[in-house]
Amino acid sequence: MLTIKHFTKSYKGGKKAVDDLSLVVERGDIYGFIGHNGAGKTTTIRAVVGVLDFEEGEIEIDGISIKKDPVACKANIAYIPDNPDLYDHLTGIQYLNFIGDLFRVSKANRERLIQKYSDAFQLTANLGDMISSYSHGMKQKLAIISALIHEPKLLVLDEPFVGLDPKAAHTLKTIMAELCSSGGAIFFSTHVLDTAEKICNKIAIIKAGQLIAHGSTEEVKGKNSLEEVFMELIDND
Amino acid sequence: MINIWRLTKLQLLSTFGLNKALHTKDPAERRKALLLSITIMAGVLMIGAFSFSYSFMMGMAFEELGRMYLLLAIMMAVTSIVGFFTTVYKASGVLFSYKDYDMIMSLPVKTSHVVASRVLQLYVMNLFFTLLVMLPAGAVYAIQVNPGVLFYLFFLMTLLFITLLPIIAATIIGALISWVSSRFRASKMISVVFTFAVLILFMLGSFNLNGDQQELADMGAGLGDAIFKLYPLASVYVDAVCSYRVSSLIFFIALSVLAFVLFSAVLATRYKAIHTGLMTSHSGSRYTMKPLQANSAFKALYFKELRRYFSSANYVLNTGIGMVLLLVMSVSLLFVSSEKLGVVLNIPQLSEYLSTLSPLVVSLFVVLSCTTASSVSLEGNHLWILQSSPVSKPTIILSKVAVNLTITLPVIAVSWGLLIYTLRTGWMESILMLVIPVLYACYSAMLGVIVNLKLPKLDWTSEVTAIKQSAAVLVSMILGFISLVVPAALFMLLRSVNGNLILLGYGILMAAVCAGMYRYIRISGERLFLRL
Repeated sequence: MLTIKHFTKSYKGGKKAVDDLSLVVERGDIYGFIGHNGAGKTTTIRAVVGVLDFEEGEIEIDGISIKKDPVACKANIAYIPDNPDLYDHLTGIQYLNFIGDLFRVSKANRERLIQKYSDAFQLTANLGDMISSYSHGMKQKLAIISALIHEPKLLVLDEPFVGLDPKAAHTLKTIMAELCSSGGAIFFSTHVLDTAEKICNKIAIIKAGQLIAHGSTEEVKGKNSLEEVFMELIDND
Repeated sequence: MINIWRLTKLQLLSTFGLNKALHTKDPAERRKALLLSITIMAGVLMIGAFSFSYSFMMGMAFEELGRMYLLLAIMMAVTSIVGFFTTVYKASGVLFSYKDYDMIMSLPVKTSHVVASRVLQLYVMNLFFTLLVMLPAGAVYAIQVNPGVLFYLFFLMTLLFITLLPIIAATIIGALISWVSSRFRASKMISVVFTFAVLILFMLGSFNLNGDQQELADMGAGLGDAIFKLYPLASVYVDAVCSYRVSSLIFFIALSVLAFVLFSAVLATRYKAIHTGLMTSHSGSRYTMKPLQANSAFKALYFKELRRYFSSANYVLNTGIGMVLLLVMSVSLLFVSSEKLGVVLNIPQLSEYLSTLSPLVVSLFVVLSCTTASSVSLEGNHLWILQSSPVSKPTIILSKVAVNLTITLPVIAVSWGLLIYTLRTGWMESILMLVIPVLYACYSAMLGVIVNLKLPKLDWTSEVTAIKQSAAVLVSMILGFISLVVPAALFMLLRSVNGNLILLGYGILMAAVCAGMYRYIRISGERLFLRL
């Protein structure tokens, strides 16, 4: 579903934010992407979803290059950044309808899916309000709903659990599991190692722009907890 | 006091990408900053030279009358009045709408100091204009009159205060409008309507003050009185600077400073309440799912952009003013004929000039109404939504152009109808009066968005920074004016050639430029957007 081959991103001044990163996310995977602040997680994620330009390496979504055909790739991806700023001047339902239009979701499907997910996140009653009146958590929920209404094949999330209440976090985990069991894939970054350990079947750990461990969760953590492995890998050097 | 300066400096650093230019290590960014500085310097020099030659010509006339002080009086009054009008519609945005309000207000700083820093930001923005008008005028006065040392001293001292009082007056009106609007649910739209209404009232009022038209036409007798009647402080200023009257100097400076201090202190008492009223969103929390309407991506982007435009009082006030002025001018001409206006302004051939030059005059208002020059910057932190959407980027760019045309084209059409009726233009002039402004509307809209893609300002904390003080807005404004100066200069230089022929040729050139820009957006839009 997602193939990253030798992806390198250098920032102005020559410093490498990500260096020769390669990994594969297959259908059905919930792939956790872990690293400390500034390790290169967001840079990688932004390149995967076609928001960030890059010169070295290749990223393919379902066999299509994000560089060569970004529009076709993006039609299959849903992306939620770590701090999703939404259009304050729209109401929740206007925003969802806008996303539905951009992703060409049929009228019947968008009505059904908006109802389904906004009920699941208990946001339906607020959809008529301006987004400017929403709390941080409500905006996060709206961003998640907007990501789900076009039934993406690949869900790319940057710190999706930040700002969510426990009920919403549980709902999101359930939906993530459903999406993967129906053939989709999820690639997400997180600092919540307990959650990653519980829900991910694959884990990648990035440090200073380089992948230092990746594979199935069991392979990466062995008999230890993910937190212990992470701390050991990050501290060693 | 030091806190006021610290807060003001913080705001000024984000103006025109100053801080980025000072600290960037990227050679491409440095080159861009250098190019921008050269463009701004060239613009400043051009306006400075124009201002000097204008002052010089006026100075010659006043010297013949032996009333050189009128030059400084007029320039000071013009600076103040322009400062007032351009601040009324900015005041509310600069005072109340900025993203770091919570952070700033949580600091151990007096609210009156926060207010003072916001007013100072408006002051600095106006000071550049004051310097551009007053320094050349002062130089011309000094050349012609050869005054004593006190002139230079008093001139430089008052220079810093000329713009302060008009700004305070404009800010009081801006704050009052915000205060009244904050009590209503649709506070932003009410603020827009009030501000435009106040501006039009003041304009009509100042025309009425000059009602004795013969007085204006008669240079010798009543011009001084007319200026002093229009702006009484000009008389105090002239007394201080030209007659070296110390009491007038102290009065002038004290009045400005006192108004500044009092305003900051008084507004501070209601500052938080007004901000809360303006920023509070009403939530019903009673929504039930209804049938939705599906649109094409372009239509969805267009309506999103249109809603964005009308949701921001700052955006509408700063870019809509040109269209409002155009309508006011077109309607005014119904009541004052161009022949009468020619007599008032002492330009006998005004009627003839107007019918030939009016396509360019209308186009000037169109160039002032460029919404696209800040439309990309205004995406700010929301940019990820468009960047990650499966829509071709030229579609996104063109939706912004379409919104600009929605703002300008209907007003162009209405004013065209009014102008061809009042100016009684021939068929060729009538066609040009419609076609040229429409071409300028396309040119200005596409130029604005291209410049904004090249010079984005996405990290703003106050919308006004993107709308009014960004490099993209400045550059597109300069390029827009240059595009108007060229045909106007051709008119002057090629007096023997038929004016319509010049406009026709220039129109064809503009159409070609528009086609080129459209093609550029189609081909390079994706790349430009990805580089943001």
